[in-house]
Amino acid sequence: MLISEDLTCQELVELVTEYLEGTLRPKDRDRFEQHVVLCDGCAYYLDQMRTMIALTDSLTEESITPEARESLLHVFREWKGG
Amino acid sequence: MVRAYKCLRPGRIGPFSGYRWPVGVWVEGGGNAALCLRGIHACRTEDLPYWLTQELWEIELDDDVRREHRKLVANRGRIERRIEAWTRASAAGFAEGCAARTEQRAMQARGEQAGRLAELAADAAANAAKGEAALLGFIAARAAELDSGTEGYADERRAQANWLASELGLEAA
Amino acid sequence: MAFMPQLSRLPATRYSRSVAQVGAAEVELLEALREGQESAFTALVEEYHASIVRVARTYVSNRATAEEVAQETWLAVLNGLDRFEGRASLKTWIFRILANIAQTRAQRDSRSLPFSSLGDESSEPAVDPERFAPAGERWAGHWKSYPERWDTLPEERLVGDETRSRIEGAIERLPSIQRQVITLRDIEGWSAEEVCSALELSETNQRVLLHRARSKVRQALEAYLAQDYEC
Repeated sequence: MLISEDLTCQELVELVTEYLEGTLRPKDRDRFEQHVVLCDGCAYYLDQMRTMIALTDSLTEESITPEARESLLHVFREWKGG
Repeated sequence: MVRAYKCLRPGRIGPFSGYRWPVGVWVEGGGNAALCLRGIHACRTEDLPYWLTQELWEIELDDDVRREHRKLVANRGRIERRIEAWTRASAAGFAEGCAARTEQRAMQARGEQAGRLAELAADAAANAAKGEAALLGFIAARAAELDSGTEGYADERRAQANWLASELGLEAA
Repeated sequence: MAFMPQLSRLPATRYSRSVAQVGAAEVELLEALREGQESAFTALVEEYHASIVRVARTYVSNRATAEEVAQETWLAVLNGLDRFEGRASLKTWIFRILANIAQTRAQRDSRSLPFSSLGDESSEPAVDPERFAPAGERWAGHWKSYPERWDTLPEERLVGDETRSRIEGAIERLPSIQRQVITLRDIEGWSAEEVCSALELSETNQRVLLHRARSKVRQALEAYLAQDYEC
């Protein structure tokens, strides 16, 4: 990484979302990844962010409760009948 | 179909995606957030010094292989053969070469840069024993840039790539 | 070096669907629904109800109210069937109905202000600046000490109920617009495009909000996981 391409850790953590979204320009993406290769701290931070997102994704496991389903069927039948 | 190299962490883990690569299976990029965000990434020999990790693999790339800054990107990739010659010992050898060149620049430096080069030489010495190949490559290239500008940087990186090609029997850089 | 833990019990990351008009299967479903077929309604409810409640929760103060808002939404959906032309996706259409009802309810219950404008938020760094070496030092801007590795934590710690509720709590404490963005993107799996369209945000604004939301949730999770594990 050239001096002109240097990225500090403090700058990197502000780029993490853009990186994961795929919206960094190729050169900035390269700088980001170069830094992660060289810096364990930022590698751990990126890993933390990915882990957190994956855990958040898993919050969808709950589905509709039987009570809610009953209640909604009632709504439907009333609507249909009305 | 293009042959290139892929740097992975122990257990075939992608260094940015955290994805565990299967062997001998085509992997598609793009669309799956768990993988490389836009396609499969790989390196040519000349790019390797930037990306070195613990495991080095040969990868076949297929379907719209593009050259991006210091990497190749494709829609599909398949790793097949691990470069067995890339070991802790060869990583240490690479690191030592980088440290030696950095030390030499520091010793020959005069004026403004001498202080900074001395610092880099100290960093190199401290980390060479750990065999941190990518880090030592960076330090040596930074020293070269301080010493002789972007041309010096490019020369140093080329020397690193040539060393890898020769030592590991890779495609010439 | 760090790598993503292979968390065996987490579902695979979902593919985000791009914004689309109502698809063929949905057209059939809507037809069946218009004809009064209960099975069509049940299918729709199975697909969307849990999400509707979760999203309603980003507007209103408690789960019971969210369930009420969800019910009202379904009724409004049924009553609006004839008017739905299929120019937006079904999901977007249901969401717009939900947003209207939820916002009205939130204002009525005076829980939260309408979407806080981006301009009101002062700049919030993703990580406390204290964590980095100050300007003037050789390693200015670099970590003073590295963040913890989560890949070496026992999996039960990460996927347990307590962790889950910490994340939910952190999301609940976010400003409403950040809460909505992270819920739709990271819980509901909507694409950036869909969220921009539904919440009327520019691409940049959506990304900034997502960034702030994720940064805060990560901080909260980090604080929790850093505690000594009590046996």
